[in-house]
Amino acid sequence: MRSRVLGASVATVLALSACGGNLDDSASDAGSTFPERAVRVLVGQDAGGSTDLIARALAEPASADLKKPVTVLNKAGANGGVAAKELAGAEADGYTLMVFNGSLAYITPLAVAADEAVDINGFEVVTGVSQDDYVLVANPKTGFKTVKDIVDAKRPITFATTGVGTGSQLCQELLFAQASVDATAVPFNGGAPALTAALGGQVDVAAVQLGEGQSQIKAGKVTPIVTFAAERPAYLPDTPTAQESGYTALVQQSRAIVAPKGAPRETLDRLRAAFQKAFAEQKYKDFNAQRSLTPNEVDGATLLRQWNASRDTYRGLIEKYKIDLSGKS
Amino acid sequence: MDSLSPVLDGFAVVLEPKNLLYCLLGVVIGMLIGVLPGLGPAATIAILLPMTFGLEPVTSIIMLAGIFYGAQYGGTITSVLLRLPGEASSVVTVFDGHAMARQGRAGTALGIAAIGSFTGGTLSIVALTLVAPFVAGFALDFGPPEYTALALLGILLVATVSNGGKVKALIAAAAGLLLATVGRDDFISVERFTFGNLSLADGLDFVPIAMGLFGLGEILYNLEERHRATQAPAAVTDVWPSRADLRQASGAIGRGGVLGFLLGILPGGGAVLSSLAAYAWEKRRARHPERFGHGAIEGVAAPETANNAAATSSFIPLLSLGIPANATMAVIFGALLIQGVTPGPQLVTEHPELFWGVVNSMYLGNVLLLIMSLPLVGLFVRILRVRPAILAPITALITLIGAYTVRNDVFDIGLVVFFGVLGYLMKKTGFDPGPLVLAFVLGSLLETSLRRSLLLFDGNPAGFLTRPISGVLLACFLLVAVLPAARTLLHRRRAHLDRVPSGNE
Repeated sequence: MRSRVLGASVATVLALSACGGNLDDSASDAGSTFPERAVRVLVGQDAGGSTDLIARALAEPASADLKKPVTVLNKAGANGGVAAKELAGAEADGYTLMVFNGSLAYITPLAVAADEAVDINGFEVVTGVSQDDYVLVANPKTGFKTVKDIVDAKRPITFATTGVGTGSQLCQELLFAQASVDATAVPFNGGAPALTAALGGQVDVAAVQLGEGQSQIKAGKVTPIVTFAAERPAYLPDTPTAQESGYTALVQQSRAIVAPKGAPRETLDRLRAAFQKAFAEQKYKDFNAQRSLTPNEVDGATLLRQWNASRDTYRGLIEKYKIDLSGKS
Repeated sequence: MDSLSPVLDGFAVVLEPKNLLYCLLGVVIGMLIGVLPGLGPAATIAILLPMTFGLEPVTSIIMLAGIFYGAQYGGTITSVLLRLPGEASSVVTVFDGHAMARQGRAGTALGIAAIGSFTGGTLSIVALTLVAPFVAGFALDFGPPEYTALALLGILLVATVSNGGKVKALIAAAAGLLLATVGRDDFISVERFTFGNLSLADGLDFVPIAMGLFGLGEILYNLEERHRATQAPAAVTDVWPSRADLRQASGAIGRGGVLGFLLGILPGGGAVLSSLAAYAWEKRRARHPERFGHGAIEGVAAPETANNAAATSSFIPLLSLGIPANATMAVIFGALLIQGVTPGPQLVTEHPELFWGVVNSMYLGNVLLLIMSLPLVGLFVRILRVRPAILAPITALITLIGAYTVRNDVFDIGLVVFFGVLGYLMKKTGFDPGPLVLAFVLGSLLETSLRRSLLLFDGNPAGFLTRPISGVLLACFLLVAVLPAARTLLHRRRAHLDRVPSGNE
């Protein structure tokens, strides 16, 4: 309700300023006249992927609230590194934003050279968006139903990942290292090919995002083994988490709306209000349910804490279990 | 006849006026973006996604599907007229399509492409209706080892399709394979030939390479030609394919349709391989293979039929397994999700009206495209009458904008210019850019599939031979590679034997 009032007052201000008056209005600072033109949202992945769909699902309702177009611009490359670089170089006025993938901030730096890593602390976080849980699935022909089955099989296994330096790789490496399973990672280019490899029995298991695997799990074409979530996701209540099975492998994909460092506080607040309004829309909630996304609509400071903590935890874990995410070992 | 009733209900869905209208809208948009090089169906569908929010699922997918296969029709036009292949699957169309245009037979080329596209699309839908559930599993049987064998076979075909010297074709293909290695390694995160440039981290894209080598290279070369000898633009003689043309192309259309349907089912690379294989097949079985590259009508008919058949059959894995076969299918997958429909193995039983509505809309869409494209052929060929002084800069501009829209990256414009100069130099020195571009497309498929396979086989290459499909494909590879050599050898020996008795007399 509060944000609707804010939206209405912005509209009034805009209307007044269009008439050429209101110069003495206290609301004429940068924050409340924002936005005066279209807002651009960069997406570091190709059109059609999860991140892109989230950006597009948010752009429409956010634009309705901001009363200016919110356009999505795909700049795929380097796991989102290309878009992050563009964002870092953009003017810090709130007109250029990005849907930032958590993995770029807390997993990719563990796999690539230090000078290529992107530091999320060099940006302003507008708002957290949602989390996507990973699920380990097996081809039914393997007979694997639990992690114990995999361990008891006492044979080397192959696992598909969605790429090098992704959450899909990290969670499986952590699990198999702790379970002492002789497992070979086979990187694929994204969730769909990794899942297809498990469906076709090319690999024994694969870890994919819940939304990607859900329909195949429901159809019984793949068996869910564990999720890597903190607690059982509402979308998959009967599958244990890795934690429950006794392994430390809490890995999630998380997404946030991010602006260049130094964007004015009022502008960031105005944007957060607009996105919060978008989060509240029933259609957006339905979208989350459809994609099995768990809302994580926290403020910027909380999100930074979450992501920095994840990065430090993962760094500790891969050192402890001697995992090399770069795939060179 | 219970099994037929959902199919017929599907027709009822298509014939609702609203669905008819959106089908028309989809194919018109598709055809337009097909004509614009660079802007692909995947990006267009993503941009138009919000438009579908208010529509029923079946209506929105009918429209989005129309954009996808409509683009296949439109892409031919620039390949033939301007030597600008908009997508990897129409690269081979350039060889004979543009040669025909230079001979004043652009209308014939476009006409036969439209007829081939229609036939390929329609045959593929019939096959989809009848056998979709049975062939869907085919997509799953294709793992990394099978793709490795297929890519190897494809690269071998690249060498056979090119015109001019074999050695030059091999050099160009090797350069293509080398270009395919640029970018961050998919298996170990190491940068290869990126020179620290983030725009190169994901490797080079097909579009700037093809547009530079073919489109811009051609423009530069023609500008020089014009200075030397004033070459009048070829008069456009016959706009319609004659009955003799049709007869000559009919076999190619049939074979292209079958190849396209089968290869299109494979996720990733199916459409490119199908057009390439269809072209190679025609050239191989032709009595005068030397006609190819100089305006052989089969060289347009076969790949154009194949890529449309492949476009249609790529819906099979999406609709019957829930696996998106290419980037466009991935966006349509997303669109279905937004509509509250989860594509997966149960789609046909849970939403028969959606499945059959979309499938049957493609019959209609193909008829619409044929009706639209035939009269437009006459209009489009007039582009060739525009003076080069006007046409060349416009084409160059469209090319540069098109390359930019793929990734919204200015760097790609620089790439087009670079490859344009390279294309010009290649043409001057007698190198055909075709093998380079095709080897580039297949190179990354070969490398990633091979490395994945070796991971799966624990480093033992014998694994390729123990899997039935990859074993058969590798046998085909050997056959194609060895047979011509054996034949020449046999020929020579026979000639030798013939000469020996004659020498005795």
